[in-house]
Amino acid sequence: MSDSIAGFISDVDEDGALAEVRKALDAGADPLGLVEALRAGMSTVGNRFEAREYFLPDLILSAEIFNQSVALIEPHLKGTGGPSKGSVVIGTVQGDVHDIGKNIVATMLRCAGYEVRDLGIDVAPGSFVDTAKETGASLVALSGLLTVAFDSMKDTVAAFVEAGTRDSVKIIIGGGPVNETVLEYCGADAYGKDPSEAVALAERFLA
Amino acid sequence: MKRTMLYPRDTMTAEERLRAVISLQVPDRVPACPFIYYFAARFAGITVYELWSEPAKYRAAIDRCFEKLGPWDVYYPVNPRCPEVYTFIMPMVARWPGRDLPEDSICQLLEEEVMKAEDYAWTIDLGERWGSLSYIPFFMKMISRAWEHLEDGWRTWAYILPRLAINLAGWRLEFESFKRRGSTVLYGFLPEAAFDSFSLARGLMSFVRDCRDRPAEIARAAEALTDGYYFILRLVTALMGVPRVEIFLHRSSNDFISPKTFDELSFPSLKALVERLVASGIQCVLHCDGNWDRNLERLRELPAGNCVAQFDGPTDIFLAKQVLGDRMCIMGDVPPDMLVLGSPSEVDEYCHRLIEEVGKGGGFIMGAGCEIPPNANPENVKAMIESVARYGYYGTDRVTASRAVAAGFADQLTERSGTGE
Repeated sequence: MSDSIAGFISDVDEDGALAEVRKALDAGADPLGLVEALRAGMSTVGNRFEAREYFLPDLILSAEIFNQSVALIEPHLKGTGGPSKGSVVIGTVQGDVHDIGKNIVATMLRCAGYEVRDLGIDVAPGSFVDTAKETGASLVALSGLLTVAFDSMKDTVAAFVEAGTRDSVKIIIGGGPVNETVLEYCGADAYGKDPSEAVALAERFLA
Repeated sequence: MKRTMLYPRDTMTAEERLRAVISLQVPDRVPACPFIYYFAARFAGITVYELWSEPAKYRAAIDRCFEKLGPWDVYYPVNPRCPEVYTFIMPMVARWPGRDLPEDSICQLLEEEVMKAEDYAWTIDLGERWGSLSYIPFFMKMISRAWEHLEDGWRTWAYILPRLAINLAGWRLEFESFKRRGSTVLYGFLPEAAFDSFSLARGLMSFVRDCRDRPAEIARAAEALTDGYYFILRLVTALMGVPRVEIFLHRSSNDFISPKTFDELSFPSLKALVERLVASGIQCVLHCDGNWDRNLERLRELPAGNCVAQFDGPTDIFLAKQVLGDRMCIMGDVPPDMLVLGSPSEVDEYCHRLIEEVGKGGGFIMGAGCEIPPNANPENVKAMIESVARYGYYGTDRVTASRAVAAGFADQLTERSGTGE
């Protein structure tokens, strides 16, 4: 049953996935096992996206199916949806209000089992620092679509240095114009070209 | 009329050169078309709010760029004198510098739902009832929803139409001023394609669901607006005296939709519109944001020698030349990060490669990957614009000459860095 749930998610089949989750819950399946199956399905979606078989709409729709499925499972869970794989603080940096990419990355990270604190848009460097400290997050994801975001990303990295917490976090950056040059300029640890790469970076840094 | 040449070696005017590259003939040299607007504010030391709200300051800022960093061949006009008129092109909620944002911010567009799911049916009906006038009521409704102080109905029309007329009249004056200095103008009007307008107006998340749940409605609604687009584009390009349009395609790249969705939902109405425009003598610049690698083959179906595909970096422009070079002119694509963080010699080297490879045999316009970033290094912008005079001349002695000039330029850059300039 877990295999078929993962299959429906990976095929972006909303009706099939939800029906299968309901059937599994009625049959008394282990709720945590179902969440794992959903995550396995999402992992396949990510692989297909990387292979360019899937496109952004497939990521968005599969994440929606994931969330709807988790909503069905949640009442059956005792406590949380399983152990978190780690905490991530994410936000669009100061001076930029674009949030599509950031929202999709946040959703994909949640689907992959990470606890995500989304600070929204136009986030000041100090907010990233404070929230990382407060949540104990060891991964910080900075998003920006505009070239003016480069300086904000650099300032945010500098704020961690100034607060003396740079060594306790990994900082990743992403967004339209971000590449190796921008990474070097900002002094972050890595960059991701798309949501799938962001999840891969989280796997790498929070393993 | 006097034939003004921008450089001593030129044998064509800027307009002749632009027409030559679009029709895939070999011009005297590669034309340059920097997409400058926000950058002009910073370069001239004024705010974006001043740039857009005070026509004299806009003119002075652009003049300063032209004088210090130019000359360049083709003016890329984006000067929205009225925020609400901006929505006549891009149906989204906008946060405006000096109004909702600090005066020196750039305009930012929000993913809010200004178009409802039921509006597809309304749009199809609109196309049937209003025919060639359908563009205007469609966008008036979107404008009324995007701006809180406007409401649906004749008040929005009364508010927008005079402002649109003033905006266009201002443009016409700007165009004349550019023509007087020997440049030409890229286009007379700049709509967002119908499919892409729906995507922007619905918001990405809703539109993704629409593409899954109501694809036929999207395709029919886009088709229903074709007459309306055609009419407004013919009218405005005639008024502006520029027989070219720019069609924005912000949401049709492989970054946003699959090639299949492009083929089935985006391309058919785009193709129908482009074919009609070309048949009536209007050439089309396709503003292809994002990665178009897997849409390139489809673009071959558009009328040959009458279109420009403008790429902004994610598309492999060298691949685009191979796939499309015999069908349409290619424009682009000096990366924004290079213009901001790179050095003049890096920009020079990249432009040289663009000219040699994408400019081979004509059919190329030098430009940035989309707009010149507001925080671009002016020296980099200058290197990009000047590259067409250094390397861009066509002729038998071109390769030797360009290499010699390149060597001289490298020396010049070394000297500049040596003296701390």
